[in-house]
Amino acid sequence: MSERAPKRSVSDLAMAGAEPLFARPRSTSSLARPDFERFLAYSREFHQAHQFTNNGPLVQQLETRLASFHGTAHCVSFCSGFWALVLAIRCLALPGRREVVMPSLTYRRMADVASWAGLVPRFCEVDADSLGMTPALVEPLLNQDTALILGVHPIVNCFDAPGIETLALAHGIPLLIDAVESVRETIGGRRVGGFGRAEVFSLHASKLLNGFEGGYLTTDDAELAGRLALIRGFGFQGPDEVVDLGMNAKLNEIHAAMALAGLDQLEEQIERNRALYLAYREALAAIPGLRLVAFDQSEACGYKNILVELLDDWPLDRARTLSLLNAENALARAYYAPPLHQRPYAYPVIAGPLPVTERLGERFLLLPCGHFVDAQDVAAIATLLHFLHTHADDLEGLPE
Amino acid sequence: MSARPPLALLGAPPAFEHPLPVGQLNFPDWGAYVEAMRGIFERQYYTNQGPLVQTLESTLQARLDIPHVIAVTNATIGLIMAAEALQLRGRVLTPAFSFVATAQSLSWAGLEPRFCDVDPASHHLCPEAVEAALEEPEVSAILAVNLWGDFADVPRLRTLALRRGIPLYLDSAHAFGCVSEEGPAGTLGEVEVFSFHATKVLGATEGGCICTADDTLAARLRNIRSSYGAGPPVPVARTANGRMSEAQAAIALLELERLPAIIERNHQLLAAYRTGLEGLPGLHLRAPQRAVQSNGQYAVCEIDAAALGLNRDALQAVLRAENVLARRYFHPGIHRLPPYRDGLLPPGGLPHTDALCNRLLQLPVGQRVDTADVERICDLIRLAHTHADAVSSTMEVAR
Repeated sequence: MSERAPKRSVSDLAMAGAEPLFARPRSTSSLARPDFERFLAYSREFHQAHQFTNNGPLVQQLETRLASFHGTAHCVSFCSGFWALVLAIRCLALPGRREVVMPSLTYRRMADVASWAGLVPRFCEVDADSLGMTPALVEPLLNQDTALILGVHPIVNCFDAPGIETLALAHGIPLLIDAVESVRETIGGRRVGGFGRAEVFSLHASKLLNGFEGGYLTTDDAELAGRLALIRGFGFQGPDEVVDLGMNAKLNEIHAAMALAGLDQLEEQIERNRALYLAYREALAAIPGLRLVAFDQSEACGYKNILVELLDDWPLDRARTLSLLNAENALARAYYAPPLHQRPYAYPVIAGPLPVTERLGERFLLLPCGHFVDAQDVAAIATLLHFLHTHADDLEGLPE
Repeated sequence: MSARPPLALLGAPPAFEHPLPVGQLNFPDWGAYVEAMRGIFERQYYTNQGPLVQTLESTLQARLDIPHVIAVTNATIGLIMAAEALQLRGRVLTPAFSFVATAQSLSWAGLEPRFCDVDPASHHLCPEAVEAALEEPEVSAILAVNLWGDFADVPRLRTLALRRGIPLYLDSAHAFGCVSEEGPAGTLGEVEVFSFHATKVLGATEGGCICTADDTLAARLRNIRSSYGAGPPVPVARTANGRMSEAQAAIALLELERLPAIIERNHQLLAAYRTGLEGLPGLHLRAPQRAVQSNGQYAVCEIDAAALGLNRDALQAVLRAENVLARRYFHPGIHRLPPYRDGLLPPGGLPHTDALCNRLLQLPVGQRVDTADVERICDLIRLAHTHADAVSSTMEVAR
């Protein structure tokens, strides 16, 4: 059976032992491949300068470009978004306080991020419409021990960053934003990057900007940027002068070259993402029980992630839906499941009842997207979903 | 009136047009780099335990004959992960005579370094100092450091650790490619961490790896690193991102092929230093003591200011004026840097560490220098010795 051949009966499903829909997996990772010659042209700069890391020429170029892209005064790059968050929390947290308010419905390592920064996560409910925190949800959690609010943009569109920014200012609590999934987004026409005290992004290959691995932070706060630039390099201020508890969280030059090449071609990639998103939107509209979470096209969008809600009339539970898709090499993924407050921890965490998060935590999934997916793939995935909906009652004999 | 000595510090033009760094700074040539990167672009596999990282890990496992090598994005994160995987609590005995990241790795893992002095002759952790500190409460491990392509007294430290029932793990950032009487670096500690930073003998821009023979520790390390399918999930207190990318692994693999030639070249440069500095009073070029095979990545000089006529800082100033970026490794000791200034020390402080910090100077070895450069550097040092008075008075005026 050729690739993408539609399933006509249950016995055609990979779960029933047939060939999968895709010979090569289609994942939810972006995996954008920049133009090779462009990547080499950047690489030549560090190769000729014999500088392979330690704030090299390409890291500096990348930081300048990204600050300009986000409209902020400063950008500091890191070896990963993970350590960017840890170091930023460490710098911004109010001294003597220990709680970080963060959503529970978010990145699975986010509680660990707070723990590495020496703080305790306090999990916050999210709003069912935006999938993000709101000022009304955050405010009751603020107390004398709140060191920082860590806002996180959901995978499609943004949370109310201006609203929480106002709340944070009123309470004198720093707001740090994880904007890993919102590189190109605007809020009220203003580009993400300049909200709160600082915003953190990822250069992991699965994200909009592929730098192999890496991360960066944008801010208008010169002092914060300066301190982070020291801390990521062991705290060295001069050749022998260490001024702060640092570590190694430097971005190397090859990764910076990759990110620069990707940044040059970002708009091409966005166009491609947008076309895929529109193809999904059209194809999924015809399938009962599925709701595509729409990008707010009145703002700038990255269009990367394809997030779908399984409605009450979708006939399969999410786990079953995912396993059937994954068997076909359509590597759909659960959206942030389980939520953070429902995981076990070896360190203290604080959580009240989060019923909305728990309900939402079972309803969403991400469909394949990115560089390996084309419009025909989208059509094939939609056809498969349609088949699953139609034949849900006939699937009982298949393996779990 | 005699002519002014031809030293840049005294007004002459610098001996070198471009700065000569001390780091190794080896890197594949352009053609090899392009081919390696082309392969990655063709496979479109960029990170998350990709084929090159897997190859690097298995190649190093075979080379060191050790069950587990876990590639990481850098050695500091590797050391943090090691402390986390060992599930340490409280205090860890470690030298203050090391790169600051050694102690920083403990702080990030929520531990407190308890600094022990080093042996003045070996520069490495003094077993007697460790033995005395082992009596103190809350000590949960020894983190020893292998410096300069040489080794700490690992057998004695291991005996002490075993007696106390705590792990000995090793910061071997300097030690890739070195062999002790007990075997190669990488196989000596319960966990051992190498650096593949650009300045090291095996450079991957940034990078490193963690070696262990312990299956449980290896499984924990892979889970802490976040490894996407490499090995079974095991419970760990917290995860992080310590992953090495395919680009880093590609460079490490290319450099691994060249490693014998790199080490050979280092030894040629060190031999040139030895010849060039022979008989010069007050400057001792350190030779490995415990390594039966060293990677030769550092030219470490001990300066006796009285005999040389110049102290270490004056000699460094002379060389820097010539564009020779000689470095004071390590200066000052970690116990004199924030946040460790009020840290845990033995009652008498760390006199040997302080003395070494004031006496050592590193000269350039590596890709950016050749034997002719080394000969020239030796001549400059001899000139500085000959004109020590003029140099010293210039330094005084400058001050």
